[in-house]
Amino acid sequence: MPYLSNDKIFIIIPVYNENAGLLQRIIYDLLENSYSVVLVDDASTEPVSPGVHERVFHLRHLVNLGQGAALQTGIEFALSRGADYLVTFDADGQHAHNDIPALLQPLKEGVADIAFASRFMEQGHHNATTRRRLLLKLACRVNYLFTGIKLTDAHNGLRALTGKAASKIVLKENRMAHATEFLFLIKKEGLRLKEVPARVIYTEYSRSKGQSGFSSIRIVFDLFLHKLFE
Amino acid sequence: MSGIKILLITGVIFFAVYFFVRLRNSLFDLLLLSLLMATAVIFILFPELTNNLANSLGVGRGADLVFYTSILLFWFVILKLYSRLRKLEQIISTLIRKDALNNKDNTL
Repeated sequence: MPYLSNDKIFIIIPVYNENAGLLQRIIYDLLENSYSVVLVDDASTEPVSPGVHERVFHLRHLVNLGQGAALQTGIEFALSRGADYLVTFDADGQHAHNDIPALLQPLKEGVADIAFASRFMEQGHHNATTRRRLLLKLACRVNYLFTGIKLTDAHNGLRALTGKAASKIVLKENRMAHATEFLFLIKKEGLRLKEVPARVIYTEYSRSKGQSGFSSIRIVFDLFLHKLFE
Repeated sequence: MSGIKILLITGVIFFAVYFFVRLRNSLFDLLLLSLLMATAVIFILFPELTNNLANSLGVGRGADLVFYTSILLFWFVILKLYSRLRKLEQIISTLIRKDALNNKDNTL
């Protein structure tokens, strides 16, 4: 594991009412690998207290805005700190920190500007229920319809961006529609996207934190408005 | 004049007064408002006019024509409101983000 110089890799974690112990463990694992960690607390009822560390940065929204807004705040902060690479990471423990190097590799090799993790690629891994799998496949279709970009996965919170690409990504969708807005921006800015296989392990907890099937209606509605007004 | 006509015209006048007092900002708004109110009153007083208009447009009754145009108008208003809402949301997000970035701490 290349230890030094990872501190210019910023891991952005949007946080909203998360399990404190689990979050602490995630942060610990990331620090172990000498990444910098940006926690964006989206106005959790119990404010997050990540503990003191020079590579943990803690930002807090005064009111709840949504995951897209939290990511954008994290991106702006990381860029202000001169981040070389930015990684978005979920706070519910569904991602594995040792998938990050593989995700960063195409960026470091200069063959892509943005890398998306995919649980459905051949070497990917997931334990999603059939229903969830079908819903995500449907989401892929919807994304293709809206953006013309064909992907194997959708709404996977694990992504990596170069600093330069991140400076072109300005998310306006505060809620979950940001996952598709990413694709709009990639297309608009002519960024090179690559999918990389990764694991997504749902637990009882991450399922309780995750999106219900119903929220997909809201997402499509937000996308519609986005197309209409932006 | 029948009861419903008096009721409707009173309603229109109330709205007119309210808007005149509230929104006397631009001449164009005032003109548009007066025009709308005048049409409303004319159609209330002579409902047969809407029938003639409807017939010439291929709609059976005047009331139906009014109904259809209202639906269109409401769609337009809803869209306008959504666009306002989104703008407001973006302004609030910018403010909250600024605050979060200014008050960052890693010394808890």
